Amino acid sequence: MITILMIVLQVLVVLLVAPLVTGLVRWVKARLQGRRGAVPWLVYFALLTTLKKENVISESRSWMFRLVPFVVLGTILFLVVTLPLIFSDGGLAQIDLFVLAGVLALGSIFLVFGGLDAATAFGGMGASREMTLATLIEPAVLTTFAGFAVVAGSSSVQAIFGQGMTVVSHPALLLSFAALVLITLAENARYPVDNPATHLELTMVHEAMILEYSGPYLAMLEYASSIKLTVFMLILGNLIWVQPVSAFDLSTIGMAVLGVLVTVVVGSCLLALLESSMAKMRFFRMQEYLSVAFFLAFAGLILTLIV
Amino acid sequence: MSFLVQNALLGSLIFTVLSGVIALGGRSLLFHKLAQVLLVVSGTLGIVASFILFLQPQAVLQISLASSFFPILQLDLFGAIFYALISLVSVLCAIYAIPYLQSYQSTYHLRSLNALVAAFVLGMQIVILSTSPFMFMIAWEVMSMASFFLVMSDRSHDSIRAALLYLIMTHLGAAAILIAFLLLAQGSLFVDFSTLADMSWTAPVWMLWTAFSLFFFGFGSKAGLVPFHVWLPEAHPSAPSHVSALMSGVMLKVALYGFLRVLLFILPPIGVAASLLILGFGLLTALYGVLYAVVDRDFKRTLAFSSIENIGLIFTMLGVAFFASSQGLQALYQTTLVAAVFFMIAHAIFKSGLFLASGLIVRAVHSRNLELMGGLAKRLPLFSVLFCVLCLAAASLPPFGPFFGEWMFFQGLLQSFSSATPLVSAVLVLTFAITALVGGLAIFAMVKLFAISMLAEPRSAHAREVHEPPAASELFCVTVFALLIVALGLYAPVVLDLIGGGILTASRFELIVGNSTVQPSLILWLLLGCVLIVWILRRLTSRASFERMYHGWDCGQPIDASMEYTATAFSAPIRFFFRLVLRTKKAVQVEPVVASNTWIATRSMTLNLRSIWMDFGYSPLGRLLIGCADQVKKIQNGNIRFYLLLIFVTLILTLWIAL
Repeated sequence: MITILMIVLQVLVVLLVAPLVTGLVRWVKARLQGRRGAVPWLVYFALLTTLKKENVISESRSWMFRLVPFVVLGTILFLVVTLPLIFSDGGLAQIDLFVLAGVLALGSIFLVFGGLDAATAFGGMGASREMTLATLIEPAVLTTFAGFAVVAGSSSVQAIFGQGMTVVSHPALLLSFAALVLITLAENARYPVDNPATHLELTMVHEAMILEYSGPYLAMLEYASSIKLTVFMLILGNLIWVQPVSAFDLSTIGMAVLGVLVTVVVGSCLLALLESSMAKMRFFRMQEYLSVAFFLAFAGLILTLIV
Repeated sequence: MSFLVQNALLGSLIFTVLSGVIALGGRSLLFHKLAQVLLVVSGTLGIVASFILFLQPQAVLQISLASSFFPILQLDLFGAIFYALISLVSVLCAIYAIPYLQSYQSTYHLRSLNALVAAFVLGMQIVILSTSPFMFMIAWEVMSMASFFLVMSDRSHDSIRAALLYLIMTHLGAAAILIAFLLLAQGSLFVDFSTLADMSWTAPVWMLWTAFSLFFFGFGSKAGLVPFHVWLPEAHPSAPSHVSALMSGVMLKVALYGFLRVLLFILPPIGVAASLLILGFGLLTALYGVLYAVVDRDFKRTLAFSSIENIGLIFTMLGVAFFASSQGLQALYQTTLVAAVFFMIAHAIFKSGLFLASGLIVRAVHSRNLELMGGLAKRLPLFSVLFCVLCLAAASLPPFGPFFGEWMFFQGLLQSFSSATPLVSAVLVLTFAITALVGGLAIFAMVKLFAISMLAEPRSAHAREVHEPPAASELFCVTVFALLIVALGLYAPVVLDLIGGGILTASRFELIVGNSTVQPSLILWLLLGCVLIVWILRRLTSRASFERMYHGWDCGQPIDASMEYTATAFSAPIRFFFRLVLRTKKAVQVEPVVASNTWIATRSMTLNLRSIWMDFGYSPLGRLLIGCADQVKKIQNGNIRFYLLLIFVTLILTLWIAL
């Protein structure tokens, strides 16, 4: 019962915080670039407004077009439900890293389906690029996860993210952690892999795929990418210093929520700083980035095996 | 009970033969239908026989006609796994063939086709049941020859070429297997496998190595192992789709059966070097197969390359298993072996399903070219859902069956990383990383296959005109395969228990490898639950009816299908990133419309997918052979005195050597 309460609470907190993350990154980025920027909580209003807008459906769509937003948001929700992000018992022991990687891939695939089903050149372009990235990041993802699993002695998400294992307490994880940062950037379509702010067809990946979506479906897809970014930030945060709490009383919950907020704020600022200080990579140089991610992960795995 | 089972087994063989005989009966469609029905009966009996064996794992079923003279046929638990697969796929293919072949009456010669399918199935059945090299080789040849004729059953130039290539490769393989058996059995083909095992345990090392290499080449070439795979992407797509399903789904498994039968039951444990050889070839095959599956533009050839990849994965798993066994890692050995067998079952199901589905698509679009497809999801909604399930399963995604095969394999590797010597760890880690890359690329290939053929706007007139749904029984077979692959995931623990992999199941709902458990049903329901919650929330927070249809964003000019991404464009980044391996040849030709203005031009692009094995291996070899033949031809100058001299010289030489 307590576990279920924890999961529900965790889902609520993450779902509520998610739009703030997107807003914060945009705001900090604007500030860093000398613009005034919209208030961070504008994203909440934007999502609610989009939700109320008319849904314009492309004439060439099939059933897949309608299924995509549900599956994409559903797989992200799956992550929030199963990962121990706030409470150390909040995760499910039967879910392990391979399942996690599979579900992440499932989400990307359906996004790709959505992009292609719109029958425009933009959708196809985004879909092709996203699929390439998702494909080539896969070995890095699994190898990084393997590194964490070796240190934790088990591959279940509960054992890895839920039991207070950090980079500080296990320095062997340093390289795997670095690889995870690169993976986070790639999975969430951020710099240097993708430019989340652009709508220029030459550069976009994620935005091109959801170009044909509007109204509630667009809101769902935007929300899904916010949640995904939040989840990855929380995972990275937990791996540095914020511990998931195990007890279930008011003060620890307060601390946990505070921890989440701090992680999210710090994470957003760092992400904004990163995105303001570097350029997006050319897509056809992406194999360099992905190879670096993979070899970092690989070296990380070797390191965890040696130490 | 045992009597019933034995009769079921015998019955399944007899009904297969009957099916072949009836098929030859006459031109009327009645014979065609009757032949398929008999094949269904045969398969059902086969399934019954194998399942009774699954439930009594210790039993061994034997058929001995006229005891000592006729060879004994027998089925044990290991064979039953494969027998069940053959029976299952042949039942569904027979049901599928009834309407499918009727629509191709003018292309195929139905009578001989049905008889050959029956012979093909019979060959595979007897390969599994045989207990002596003699019976094994005869059945193997029946299977090979029947499938050779099946490949060229549409009698087109390309099919005949593919069939001849297949014939050469399969016979080189069969010859290798035959030599290996002769070598081990010291010239006698009539010893049974257990005696053969005794003989090979005392055989000298060089002989074991030679036998192993020959078996590896023989079974590997039949299974499509790179670099002996060149026939596979040509032969499998050329056959009628239900035969492709049988070939890809089952015949490759029969090759694996032979390989495993030899390695597990006959040869003594192979050493480190041999297991690393299997592992290396497995990884090469998986990587090479999947890269071509990504870039190929032919629907059925993509599936064939994906089969090569899957076979590569299975060989990788087997290689790791034998490697673990040679290193004394018993747990890893068991896990990976079970994972390999499980993945084999999964592959038989999803690949057969995909090939059956491919038949329907190809018939609807009148082409195997992916670039001419598209828009089918709108026109055949139910079928496209089934196809989507099969594609996702083939991409090894949760919660479908193949995912759990890979899960077991990855878990097994992961948990042995640190418990072994550095060298062993290095092998396991490398295998892990390469397999992960292959897994990622496999997703790409399957997404391409589904998305380009089913989604967006149709890219050709034929695809636009598809309205007629497939026949009910064709759809039924694809549905069964789709359901089976879901069920295989959901009931993976039960299936493992049945096939003797009980070490990996904790309960009827959980798989367990070392200290990791996974609960397939939990994943499925949780995923569905999450999607359902999202659906409810969307209904609660927004109005579902507030929508309108409009054309896609078109930048100010009407969009049509020619602006969509094609299969070639979709896989372009991968082609670019792996250009060193793929060595595609791209040529863009620009011709100005008006000679004075170079800016307005018509452009045409040709893109050739090449095979490095063909270009640098088989073609030079072929040229060398023909060159040698040309040289030899010089002595055939038509001068009778010269021939007499040759005979005389030969005689002298023979006498000189003999004395």
